Amino acid sequence: MNQEGTSQTAEPQSARPHGVSQWALAWRRLKKNKTAIAGLAIVGAFVVMAAFDRLVALYPPRCIVGLSPSCPSPDFVSNGPPTLTHPFGTNIDGYDVYSEIIYGTRAAFLIGLGATGLAILIAVIIGLAAGYFGGWMENLLMRVTEVFLVIPFFLLLLVFLQVALKFSQFSTGGIWIVVLVIGAFSWPGAARIIRGETLKVREFEFIAASRQIGASSWRILFRHLFPNVLHIVIVLLTLQIAASILTEAAVSFLGFGAPGSNTWGQQMYTSANFIADAWWATLFPALFVTVMVMGFNLLGNGLRDALDPRLRE
Amino acid sequence: MYLVPVFFGITLLVFTIERLAGDPVELYGALNPNITEQQRELLRKSLHLDQPIQVQYLSWLSDLLHLNLGSSFSGGSVATLIAQRIWATLELQLLGLTLSLMIAIPIGITSARKRYSALDVTITSTSLIGTSIPIFFLGVAAILIFGYHLHWFPSGGFQSTLPSQYPYGSLLLDQLWHLFLPATIYTFAILAPVVLLVRSSMLEVLRQDYILAAKASGLKDRTVIYKHGLRNALIPIVTYVGLYFGGLLAGAPVTETVFNWPGVGRMFVDYTTQLDFPVIQAIVVIITLMTLIANLITDVTYAYIDPRIRLE
Amino acid sequence: MSFDQILSVSGLRTYFYTYAGVVKAVDGIGLQVNKGETVGLVGESGSGKTVTAQSIMRVVPTPGKTVEGEIEFQGKNLLKLTESEMQHIRGKEIAYIPQDPTTTLDPVYSVGDQLAEVIMRHQPVSKKYAITKAIELLRNVGIADPQVRISQYPHELSGGTKQRIAIARALSCEPSLILADEPTTALDVTIQAQILELLTALKDKFNLAMVLITHDMGIVADTCDRVTVLYAGQVCETGTAEQVFGNPKHPYTEALLSSVPNLALRKKHLSVIPGNVPNLIQPPSGCRFHPRCSYARKVCIDKDPELESMGDGRIVHCHRWKELDLKSAVAS
Repeated sequence: MNQEGTSQTAEPQSARPHGVSQWALAWRRLKKNKTAIAGLAIVGAFVVMAAFDRLVALYPPRCIVGLSPSCPSPDFVSNGPPTLTHPFGTNIDGYDVYSEIIYGTRAAFLIGLGATGLAILIAVIIGLAAGYFGGWMENLLMRVTEVFLVIPFFLLLLVFLQVALKFSQFSTGGIWIVVLVIGAFSWPGAARIIRGETLKVREFEFIAASRQIGASSWRILFRHLFPNVLHIVIVLLTLQIAASILTEAAVSFLGFGAPGSNTWGQQMYTSANFIADAWWATLFPALFVTVMVMGFNLLGNGLRDALDPRLRE
Repeated sequence: MYLVPVFFGITLLVFTIERLAGDPVELYGALNPNITEQQRELLRKSLHLDQPIQVQYLSWLSDLLHLNLGSSFSGGSVATLIAQRIWATLELQLLGLTLSLMIAIPIGITSARKRYSALDVTITSTSLIGTSIPIFFLGVAAILIFGYHLHWFPSGGFQSTLPSQYPYGSLLLDQLWHLFLPATIYTFAILAPVVLLVRSSMLEVLRQDYILAAKASGLKDRTVIYKHGLRNALIPIVTYVGLYFGGLLAGAPVTETVFNWPGVGRMFVDYTTQLDFPVIQAIVVIITLMTLIANLITDVTYAYIDPRIRLE
Repeated sequence: MSFDQILSVSGLRTYFYTYAGVVKAVDGIGLQVNKGETVGLVGESGSGKTVTAQSIMRVVPTPGKTVEGEIEFQGKNLLKLTESEMQHIRGKEIAYIPQDPTTTLDPVYSVGDQLAEVIMRHQPVSKKYAITKAIELLRNVGIADPQVRISQYPHELSGGTKQRIAIARALSCEPSLILADEPTTALDVTIQAQILELLTALKDKFNLAMVLITHDMGIVADTCDRVTVLYAGQVCETGTAEQVFGNPKHPYTEALLSSVPNLALRKKHLSVIPGNVPNLIQPPSGCRFHPRCSYARKVCIDKDPELESMGDGRIVHCHRWKELDLKSAVAS
């Protein structure tokens, strides 16, 4: 039979196939993945919207169309239906719904990225530590995670926000409180998954080899383990952005959001009472939330397919 | 079982988070300025606020264990208040989950069996999009269309206020009429992720050798797919659904607000707005307990399906 | 089809339509099995052995599809049967023993359940009867304490036991043909011999025809009456074991034989077939073996050889078989 007989030494590096880097491979698969492309396109569109919000919107932010001096336009219309001058209509205060939605894009990104950054940071630290060190640390961390997972964090979120926003000295912080609280509660699910991946990666031979040549635990953790769980962290990150935006929208919709933050959820809240007469003021912000969340979800799912080392078909 | 420390952990966490916020009575008082100083004193006493924090926690804990949920700041026994609303919540949640499973499993299986076909692609892409549609969009839109504009269904609530409004004079029909839209929309809202999960789980299972072996033994297609395929595929599905249900319960506030549904979730929103702490605490603990029970049921089901687990 | 023949495959082509391209896993394979005989189907991984067996049973997994060929079994062309008719053949007339015993049993059902369901599928009997029969089957395949085993689950059993169960399942409805796919590859060496012995004994006892798929020439020599050598989805040569081993007519067979480690021959070093297993999406032009063949000529690169019959069931797929004088390294 055919015999190619060179023995291979265990290389104390990330397990990369010779020649093509894993990232180049992943990028190629990503490009082929229709879901990921769709997601990327949607997210990209929103990035543009956020970056050039003044240009894309029709009116300056928070201007009462027809009444404020800075708002050039015809007349003041409250809860007016979609027309040519107001493609998504106006809300109760006379703001142009379309423009307000555009201005809300930056807030959405802020929440998505901020809360996610915090949540994933915690999740990575806890997940890696639990998975790698094992023993009592893993036990403790995992029990804590389980407790957090069972608790309905959404409910606690509402309580916390109500207290923090309504009348503590933080009330001017507004949106940052929301970001912080959502981030502080969102890590358990991701931590569990990261720990699972760490457990798998830990068994790779090169980790043992590293230890044998005397590398310290921290070094192994960061230089070897982390890059190999990175693929799942990226997916979790993307999906968490979607989840954070969704959570903030829900929280604000119920009236627990930061009043000045002008996020889409806030816009929904202010218009919710008038929904029977002016559905556009509530539904269009909701639609945008949906689409942005969809974009990140599609991207996350596409990334998962592209980066998963197992799914090679 | 490890449930006991988890329960302690939960109560401790809830208590801590709540107290971190500050003096409960103060906070409540700030939002409800019309209560007298005397009433505040009474409330403080009832919560043992003059005593060290451990005592406060332990007395609450012991109350809980004696099934004493205390009284709301605005009066009324918490237990009674909750009991009045809990059925509505359970009705909606359980119905939604059950219907969703009943629909998602056949769809997921079909999608997996006809992988790459036009049908599969449609189902998969629709479901992917569906996972992102929040209930406040779908629900609000549906209520607007079917409730406000078409008047096919009531736009909210559990039952009509006047018996004269009951269809055909029947209370049952009235309740069903009110239940229809929320249940249907809710089912659709949670359908998508389950379909995707069933599909991916089935795909994984159908690739296995024992499926090929079963087919090679001449077993009918239906036997191979349902008897062998589905049972194995159910393992990760059951796990996920168990966790998912916990998430659904936590989302009850939003769902019930959207449908104007008088359940515990909507109640939570109302009382949290007032910072009525006894009620808040009680609801959080109860929902946590329901989640724990759901997890327990999941574990038991899991062991029933998979004999490999039974030995542990 | 001659009187003794139970299975006759000709011109079989099974392709896999994947994202990367069309994998021509089986591209023109022929196979003949007579009643009561054991035919070895030999080749390296990727030669198309398993896919051939799957094609015969018509259980080729998607994205595979048998695009061409004739499979005659007991007078019927299997490729023309409906799925329902085929289901009555599978497990009952032709049985398949898959390659890996550890994954061939459903982990969530007991042994008894899985054996009984096959029995009840093909025979109108009660569950009680089926279980009794199953216990007896387990005893026949050499499993001790079959009454205990019958209610156990696959994860509680060893690989060897699971393979015996797989054999029991295959024999449960008294088929006339067994397709055994590498029945010993996944097992320990000590168990391998036992399983082979068991298979041969059962085959003799019930006068079964068997196609034994393997890559191990040693096993072929021990157990097979006739042999078909496969390479890259095509037949290289077919003949009796003596003919193929003693007087190989295809360069690949010669190379295979000389690479078998054999202490008795006291060779100085193992020969190796140079080159790699070909890519089945874009196989080499002409004869698929030509890049690795030491006897290749221009015609081998240009043209795919014919399957030539030398008479009496001896078949060769090589341009130069008439001129080449190949030596068998293991001829006694």
